[in-house]
Amino acid sequence: MMVCTGCALLCDDIEVGENDCRHACRIGDAHITSTNQIDPMVNRSPVDMDTAIKSAAEILVSAEKLVFVGFGNLVTEAQATGIELAEKVGAEIKTFHTGIFDDILDGRVKTCTLPEVRDYADIIIFLGCDPMNTHPRLLSRYAYYPRGEKRQHGWEEDRTAITIDPRFSHTASICKDSYVIDPHRQIEFMDALMDALLSKVPKTAYDKKRILKLAGTLKKAEFGVIFAGTGAAAPPRDAIIRLMDRLNESSDFRLLSLAPGYNLRSIAEQLRQLHSRPTDDCDVVDSDSNSGGSNGGDGGIDLHKADCILCLGFDLMNSLPAHGINGKLIVIDPNETLTSRYADVVIPCAAGGIDAAGSAVRMDGEPIELPLIRESGRLSDVAILKRLLEVV
Amino acid sequence: MMKLEFGEFLAAPECKVVIVACPDVFRTEAGLRHGKFSSEYRELSAVIVLDPTDMAKIEVKDSDLVEVLGEEGVVIVRVKESEKEHPGIGYVPEGAWANVLGAGPASAKVRRSQQGIAAIEDVYHR
Repeated sequence: MMVCTGCALLCDDIEVGENDCRHACRIGDAHITSTNQIDPMVNRSPVDMDTAIKSAAEILVSAEKLVFVGFGNLVTEAQATGIELAEKVGAEIKTFHTGIFDDILDGRVKTCTLPEVRDYADIIIFLGCDPMNTHPRLLSRYAYYPRGEKRQHGWEEDRTAITIDPRFSHTASICKDSYVIDPHRQIEFMDALMDALLSKVPKTAYDKKRILKLAGTLKKAEFGVIFAGTGAAAPPRDAIIRLMDRLNESSDFRLLSLAPGYNLRSIAEQLRQLHSRPTDDCDVVDSDSNSGGSNGGDGGIDLHKADCILCLGFDLMNSLPAHGINGKLIVIDPNETLTSRYADVVIPCAAGGIDAAGSAVRMDGEPIELPLIRESGRLSDVAILKRLLEVV
Repeated sequence: MMKLEFGEFLAAPECKVVIVACPDVFRTEAGLRHGKFSSEYRELSAVIVLDPTDMAKIEVKDSDLVEVLGEEGVVIVRVKESEKEHPGIGYVPEGAWANVLGAGPASAKVRRSQQGIAAIEDVYHR
């Protein structure tokens, strides 16, 4: 059995044959069988690996406003090496979509594991997310369809799944109820729901009766779970936390984050440990963006002003409205991306869990070993970062 | 002398929408399987899902091409008629095309276009 690193579910029941890939979803199958690889490049011309690494090192050493972005698609060991490298060259680390993980790790909200969702969850909310399109096996493995220890009747009788989203999504089409909210009035909906949870008639232009009905359903939860999205379609993070607090005054709800990248929880954990070091004198700053804003972060160096951006397993240009990136771009990625096309230096690496072994942390905090699916001869992301660490 | 068609200088009708970027598993799959510079990925990325009432306002039908003028840029995409009502909202798959328009939810104007969908290299400049 192999582990799929197509998303943060890290499905561990994948069987890879000569010509097929069993049990994987559409994303997983395409991820595992992808042949869309890149060659090492400098200034958009092919070079050998040594030249690419040397050029990257030269840029890193000469840059003054350095930002490392991504980390969500690196194995845990590569993330640790990336942090070491950032400390050594004085780079800021920007990990996007890790805000809710920080709240969970800080103990600000209750959480649970995915097997607990499967075994106990009776009310499941998909808030600003569409797992059918981002984490396709979430509903079939854990959140909705399976029979669990205390939920033997599964989705037919034991579970109620509800979506709250700016779109009637594919996930909404299979849930028992859905609330389509105005993208500019998400906080109004959240506030109305919080009033309704206190049995107050909410002051809102939304359908009050439906919101009161939703509050009534949520208050009856024995084991409620909110899967929260982290992109622009999701309500602001503080509104989600306030809703969680209100829900837990009368019910029992847990929060899980549905973020892009297979190993984002791990980098959130590592950076939290880094900042809790008693003698932390490093310059590494982590800034997260819940909204994916144009400067790519709530604080620290604006990406437009950075003179060097190192993209680690992250397609910056396909992920953010990152107009006007002026600094040098270095990309370390297994596949060709929009960012790699425009990068000054491209260093191809083996993909974690495919042609590079390692470990990762599932979205619910469970550590998972990633065995090798196939040998390729490509250098792993850890090996590349270690080489950079040696020469800078 | 070049012959001009009737209405050639009349501006195409416009409607205002809020752009909401959405995930699409088929687009993600196409990006991984065929690459982000493939025609498969482009066809699934350069799309806007519009409400039928908004489509009527700008006189377009399903699969027609439209110009979307966002806060930070302009893209040409194909219209897909929505099965659900959502007047004033246009859903665009997450990715480069949506990003060109600005950080979501972004305001935009939509109007009929005679131009074709551009390659990703032409949509996104560094």
